[in-house]
Amino acid sequence: MIRTENLTKRFGDNLAVDDLTLEVAQGEVFGFLGPNGAGKTTTMRMLSALVAPTGGTAWVNGYQVGVQNAEIRASIGLLTESPGLYPRLNAEQNLSIYARLHDVDDVAGQLRTYLTLLGLWERRHEPVGGFSKGMQQKLAIARALVHEPTVLFLDEPTSALDPEAARVVRDFIETLKGEGRTIFICTHNLNEADRLCDRVAVIKQRLIRVDTPAALRQGLYGQSVRVRLREPLSALPAVVEALPFVHGVSEMPDGLRVSLDDPEADNPTLIGALVEAGAAIQFVERESYSLEQVYFDLMRESEEAA
Amino acid sequence: MNTQRIRVIISKEWMDMGKNKMVLIMMALMPVLLVGMVLGTTYFMARAPEQDFEPGAGSGIALPPEMAHLDPKTGTIIMMNDQYMFYLLLIPMALPVYIAAYSIIGEKETRSLEPLLATPISTAELLVGKTIAAVTPAVLLAWGSFAFTALGMYIIASPLIFEYLVRPVWTLSMAIQAPLFALLSTSCGVIASSRMNDPRAAQQVTALFVVPVVGLSMLVLMGRLYLSLQLLLWATLLMVLVNVGVLWLAVKLFQRETILTRWK
Repeated sequence: MIRTENLTKRFGDNLAVDDLTLEVAQGEVFGFLGPNGAGKTTTMRMLSALVAPTGGTAWVNGYQVGVQNAEIRASIGLLTESPGLYPRLNAEQNLSIYARLHDVDDVAGQLRTYLTLLGLWERRHEPVGGFSKGMQQKLAIARALVHEPTVLFLDEPTSALDPEAARVVRDFIETLKGEGRTIFICTHNLNEADRLCDRVAVIKQRLIRVDTPAALRQGLYGQSVRVRLREPLSALPAVVEALPFVHGVSEMPDGLRVSLDDPEADNPTLIGALVEAGAAIQFVERESYSLEQVYFDLMRESEEAA
Repeated sequence: MNTQRIRVIISKEWMDMGKNKMVLIMMALMPVLLVGMVLGTTYFMARAPEQDFEPGAGSGIALPPEMAHLDPKTGTIIMMNDQYMFYLLLIPMALPVYIAAYSIIGEKETRSLEPLLATPISTAELLVGKTIAAVTPAVLLAWGSFAFTALGMYIIASPLIFEYLVRPVWTLSMAIQAPLFALLSTSCGVIASSRMNDPRAAQQVTALFVVPVVGLSMLVLMGRLYLSLQLLLWATLLMVLVNVGVLWLAVKLFQRETILTRWK
């Protein structure tokens, strides 16, 4: 659905995107993570046929960027970082302009569908300049969808929104997941990416890593469990390290973090060994890492490698 | 070229314009003031004593040889009106630049250009739509102002003064030069908007085009130039050439990528 091969963009001496190769399947929600200036928006603009690549190539919906730009633009929906609405025009007029530019057959029907779906139908005759940021963002999402694109590009869909509005937008994106559209999201909100995305790519000009959030965690930290103890015993780390399936042990203020092969299979043996050594176990839980932690560790790794 | 998309851009521009009080006031004010000035001046001059217009008197102007057969008062009023007609030609020059500069830089201010450019619309369709949206009201206002001036002149002035006002050189100027001036002004607005971030800066640059027209009107007032059909023909030819050049430059300079990446 989206494929890039060595995609590169330079603005003069400034290398914005370097040698980016990735593939996004149909129906996938793909997160694009990276710091400011990492090339996320530039990549999105290249894939939306707004900015021409200086190297490599890309295909969106089977159309080649730079060769079939009009076809690409007709088949995608783009939500830009700021809503970019016409403030003096009302919601219906704003949406109608885009529906007609996309040659939508049933303009009135599509307007009704999306304005209703996003809770704006009752306020369709009001100038959008008076809308809250959340309402403007919802209207901008409706604008990106009004022609039923198969690929949707969302640039920071919840930035600058209050928590309530951000939740409404996130919930709506989740409902879009079920419709088989390919969704490409640029975001700084790592919890949002974790919740919404099937796979994420971490970039900083170059692609650092791309995978499912779970696989990124697994790749960085392996499988580990946390054993909470009523009181620490100095002999316990050595007991645990002696077990054949254990890869590492680290002492924590409230217990131990144990890295092992397969927690489900190995936990009974681990717990037995600890109890035998006199440990008073309160809890044993699978260690969970946030995508935020994964992201910062990947960024640090990338900087160290550079 | 998809005419449906061009029509969408035109209707969008006009809807937006209709809700922008500042643009509406600017559009209405200039023609009303100019028509009022022409008719007011003619009304009071027509009622002034004949001797005021004798050679050497305060209100008298040296008439060109082509108007030597007219009495000094009628000749002076006709020359004044000729000068004012140049000012009516400033309507299609001054208004579209304001609209065009606003319509492109305004998109930047509302950050609406990027989603617009992400639709299937081509650069040519976008520019044609915006140009027609800016040129049409200005030309209609110029023609309306001329029609109102002629009607007012028919009522308040002598038949001779009315005949001079609607003589072919002016009716043809309004019919042909007004759209050409409007097109030139719009293209300049597009060029300035493509390179500048501030609508006021774009308007100031394009306002420079007003200077030659004012200069021409001064030559007429001083009796150094008499408006003839031959002069109109040359001026039209020159305007067509200038328009083609400026239009070509406007399309060349309006680059999606540059505008999106330079405008911050």
